[in-house]
Amino acid sequence: MIPRWKGLTLANSLTIEKIDAAYGAVRVLENVSLNVNTGETVVLLGTNGNGKSTLMKCVMGIVRPRAGRIVVEIDGERHDLIGRSTEQIVDLGIALVPEGRRLFPRLSVEENLLLGAFRRKARTALRANLDFCFECFPRLAERRAQLAGSMSGGEQQMLALARALMLSPRILLIDEPSVGLAPVLVSRTIDKIKELKDQYKLTVLMAEQNFPQALRIADRGYVIVHGQIAFEGRSADELNNNELIRKFYLGL
Amino acid sequence: MELSFDLLINAVIAGILLGGFYTAVTLGVSISFGILDIVNIAHPAFIILGSYIAYIVNTRLGIDPIAVSILMLPVFYLLGAGVYQVYYESFERRGQESLRGLSFFFGLLFVTEVMLILVFGVDYRYVEAPYIGPSWRLGVMDFPLRMLVPCIAALTLFAALELYLSYTFIGRAIKAVAQDQLALRLMGASPVRIKRIAFGISIATASVAGALLIIIQPVEPSVGREYIGRVFAICVLGGLGSLPGTVIGAMLLGILESFTATFYGPSWAPAVAFGVLLLTLAFRPAGLLGR
Repeated sequence: MIPRWKGLTLANSLTIEKIDAAYGAVRVLENVSLNVNTGETVVLLGTNGNGKSTLMKCVMGIVRPRAGRIVVEIDGERHDLIGRSTEQIVDLGIALVPEGRRLFPRLSVEENLLLGAFRRKARTALRANLDFCFECFPRLAERRAQLAGSMSGGEQQMLALARALMLSPRILLIDEPSVGLAPVLVSRTIDKIKELKDQYKLTVLMAEQNFPQALRIADRGYVIVHGQIAFEGRSADELNNNELIRKFYLGL
Repeated sequence: MELSFDLLINAVIAGILLGGFYTAVTLGVSISFGILDIVNIAHPAFIILGSYIAYIVNTRLGIDPIAVSILMLPVFYLLGAGVYQVYYESFERRGQESLRGLSFFFGLLFVTEVMLILVFGVDYRYVEAPYIGPSWRLGVMDFPLRMLVPCIAALTLFAALELYLSYTFIGRAIKAVAQDQLALRLMGASPVRIKRIAFGISIATASVAGALLIIIQPVEPSVGREYIGRVFAICVLGGLGSLPGTVIGAMLLGILESFTATFYGPSWAPAVAFGVLLLTLAFRPAGLLGR
């Protein structure tokens, strides 16, 4: 029996309005708007170098956008994210599973998970969240004393996901979970995210370049090309049946 | 034969006790250099500062030097946190920490030393405590309390730090901060704050190490320099970032020095640290329990 994931009944949403971002003179995002509503899984689709990760970094305060607004609603309270530090944004209850996983390689699996509970609100729920993660990812329970850096890529991705869940996030951002994984592991990772989403109504924004896998779990989605939203699919069907997506990304 | 066995076992005991003291001296550097990647070569100067504070309070008020050093922990912690903040604003934030940071700490070493010379002169100072002088005897084994008390105090300090690093949120974040700062921020912890705390703790250990030093030997402002080489040798031998490694490294060096002093003459003892350092770098650069 997997313990209940608590406290996700209130409104938790993310709204990005007309974001512009650049690295020096190179424009990476142009007039990007998107939103994620309570309990939705929204996918941000695009191939490499189109600005998906930059958008994630803007939300987390790692990259400062030049213009635009990012507003979240956490448990019914609105917060403007622009100008806040990454730590403050995380403290609100927004977690990012970063590209490349960014585990602490020389700490054990358990220490990595416990670090996930650094956020004050997550500390009180530590025991329940840890049990939850070990139930959800039995592999991590088996390897709790092993160094994170010595695990396989798939296990590391699971750990990165579990570590983000240890934050008791209200909004979960996942950046390219498929990168560097064998196809079978990609599909297993996506299954796991789907399971979390179905059972616990997490509010998720996932960036992904593996279109077929991402479409399996998407409620809605956006396609980003050269830093601009090229297409918005208001339902999974719209994404699946769009001519451009079928032709260019799914190869159908 | 009988005589040389006594000599041998007492050399081992003296080495372990000396290693205990080396542990106290090195723990702070093990945190700053081993975990935080901050080359704090001024650490021995803070230790000497600790010795002088223990000396003043001990001679004026007659309080036990170790008790003084424990009372001074918060002061040294704040001093360390302040030094880190200056180091961060001036060097680390601009990415210039490697060479300029080194000269910063070198400067700090000299300034502290000269300040102590100006205030106290270059005479040797010492403290008084009931355990300086007597010895415990167990058969042929000899435990001078002057060495035994610092050894126990040092191991207690080590245990407290190891528990703190393993079982508190801040402690775990300290272990993680040098591995991936962005990932740490994504956990909601500010790397600068975590490093400031860690560096504060590292300097706080100098308070205790200073009191132990002046219990073991009389102190003048420049004796700290004798320890710079040893401290970094122990860090590397034990393995950077590992406190248990530091204890093992300190004990090994203590025993080696004690053997050298007993069987080849005390003048060779200081050469041991550098020999160990060179051999470690040549054959096991990661150290005994290194990362």
